[in-house]
Amino acid sequence: MDIVGIFAALLNVVGSPYHVFLLLIAVPAGMFFGAIPGLGGKLGIVLAIPFVFGMDPLAGAIFLVSMHAVVHTGGSIPSILFGVPGTGPDAATIVDGLPMTRNGEAGRAIGAALGASGVGGVIGGLFLLAIMPLLRPVVLAFGPAEFFLLALFGITFIAMLAGDSLIKGLLVGLFGLMLATVNLDPQTGTQRYTFDFLFLWDGVDIITAVLGIFAIPEMIALGVAGGAMADVKQRASYGLSGVLQGIRDVFRHWGLTLRTSIIGAFIGMIPGLGGDAASWICYGHAVQSSKTPERFGKGAEEGVIAPETANNSKEGGSLLPTLFFGVPGSSGMAILLGAFIMLGIQPGPGLALDGMDVVWTLIWALMIANVVAVAMFFVLAPAFGYLSYVRGSLLIPFVLTLTYLGSYLSHRAWENLVLLTVLGGLGYLMKKYEWPRPPFVIGLILGPVVEDSFHKAFALWGPAFLLRPGAMFMMALIIVSFTVYFWRRRNKTNQIQVQEHVA
Amino acid sequence: MSPNALLNGRVLTAATMLAVFVTMSLMALGFPEKARLMPLMVGVPGSVLGLAQLFIELRTALNRPPDLDAGQGEAHGNERFMLAWTLLFFVGILAFGFLYAAPLLVFGFLCLGKKESLAVGLAGASATWAVLFGLFESVFQIPLFEGLAVAWILA
Repeated sequence: MDIVGIFAALLNVVGSPYHVFLLLIAVPAGMFFGAIPGLGGKLGIVLAIPFVFGMDPLAGAIFLVSMHAVVHTGGSIPSILFGVPGTGPDAATIVDGLPMTRNGEAGRAIGAALGASGVGGVIGGLFLLAIMPLLRPVVLAFGPAEFFLLALFGITFIAMLAGDSLIKGLLVGLFGLMLATVNLDPQTGTQRYTFDFLFLWDGVDIITAVLGIFAIPEMIALGVAGGAMADVKQRASYGLSGVLQGIRDVFRHWGLTLRTSIIGAFIGMIPGLGGDAASWICYGHAVQSSKTPERFGKGAEEGVIAPETANNSKEGGSLLPTLFFGVPGSSGMAILLGAFIMLGIQPGPGLALDGMDVVWTLIWALMIANVVAVAMFFVLAPAFGYLSYVRGSLLIPFVLTLTYLGSYLSHRAWENLVLLTVLGGLGYLMKKYEWPRPPFVIGLILGPVVEDSFHKAFALWGPAFLLRPGAMFMMALIIVSFTVYFWRRRNKTNQIQVQEHVA
Repeated sequence: MSPNALLNGRVLTAATMLAVFVTMSLMALGFPEKARLMPLMVGVPGSVLGLAQLFIELRTALNRPPDLDAGQGEAHGNERFMLAWTLLFFVGILAFGFLYAAPLLVFGFLCLGKKESLAVGLAGASATWAVLFGLFESVFQIPLFEGLAVAWILA
């Protein structure tokens, strides 16, 4: 393990006033986007893109990772105070967080969420630090055949988990792959689907595609819903002494905190399985491992600690496939991946070879951001009680402006504004008619990897590349994941039929 | 088959997806061998799955009560409002650029669209202009898109 390199990276973050400044801006920004339902962390990242454009790559990456690391910390606040999840994975926090508020323990719940988020984020980063030396040789052993199938595995896995319909998920993933072929073919130089438009020669701009598929539909949907955040119209109040008690609870339940942090980090490593899965699995673990499970659902502090540690620790885990394999661990990571590429940081085995300083720096940024979020909360605490007065719909025109700005800035091509609007319309249809969108982004980002890896593997080994051990392992993973998916669907259908029969 | 089933939004979305895959696959047949490999590897399974999904949506549409997808009155009106404003943002920025169009559109959305007070509208427009001109053009030195109409007029 390169101990010198690891601590040199730490100095790179804390020793640079510029990096510290960016971190101090990113943390409240991330908490803000996480705390306002209807916005969410993904939108925060895409809107930050115009601001990091042109920055030093490492500085820009530090800013984005720091912002992304604390989104769920912010998201726990409306979950606890108002029963409205700031982000999807914060829904599990409501189960015990809201009852704690109703019991007059709002401060304690927030303190527990805060402390758990901070500790979970740090442990997630430490997990990544520890596992990196073991995984680096594995990453470097991956060849084009393995990367081709790993990318396919990532797309199919996310297609399975992203929504209720496997066919829709696969179709959207394939659509992303299809759109990735719009370019000047790297093998032959043939114009594919470019219709003589120069701006398409390098392919569909990832930033424009991500903004179109995510940001615009979210704003349209927010406007359609009326933009109301919650029915609560009064300021939620809590004392700092309660917050401190909640933080102490996190250390009082240190065993649970440690276990759920590690579980969350491990789940984060598996592409597509992050997010809601981590928080709910850890909540379930907290209930099962408790000596007094009857307290859960009525205001048990462990019911807040468990999902919140997992929410933050999974971000550390999901950095691993994102940075080393170029396979995003979650849809948020998919957007981060697009932003890294825009900044000039190319995820993949090359990073494992001679970019480890970047990797260590980002891990430290992730951990420090989580610690800073806890400290910053004490400064910002009174402001969070006013969240109920923020009408999300008033932010719509600003978000739309920044969305169009981000799309234009990525390639300075006005044609991207047209593409943005078209994809925005398509993205809204997808959202309205329940087509999952994360597989599209992942298909688009991994498309060049899939095609390039396939051509290389075929050139080296012919069709026999599928018989290589690594490739067969990946194929087995794909088959197993499909099998588990259909088995679980069948079980769910049987359960529903039994319930209907009993009723 | 009832015409309502065909005009169902879900059916149209599935049909659009199928049309995209089929069209792109057919176009790929005109590319050289190596260039068409990936589009066909993706397009053919996509077309098959698209057909399957279209069949599912049609079957569901025929079995469900009519007008289930026609949103409740207020939501439907809100949807048209938001789609119109999004289109307006696109047309405005494309024609007149960020510095001129964006503050006006923000003001219009807040005051005319959301019936906010003049103070809120003006504050929003000013903040937008301050960020675009003050931050991006002045501090970051990033020239923003001036708009096709403005470029044409100035030319």
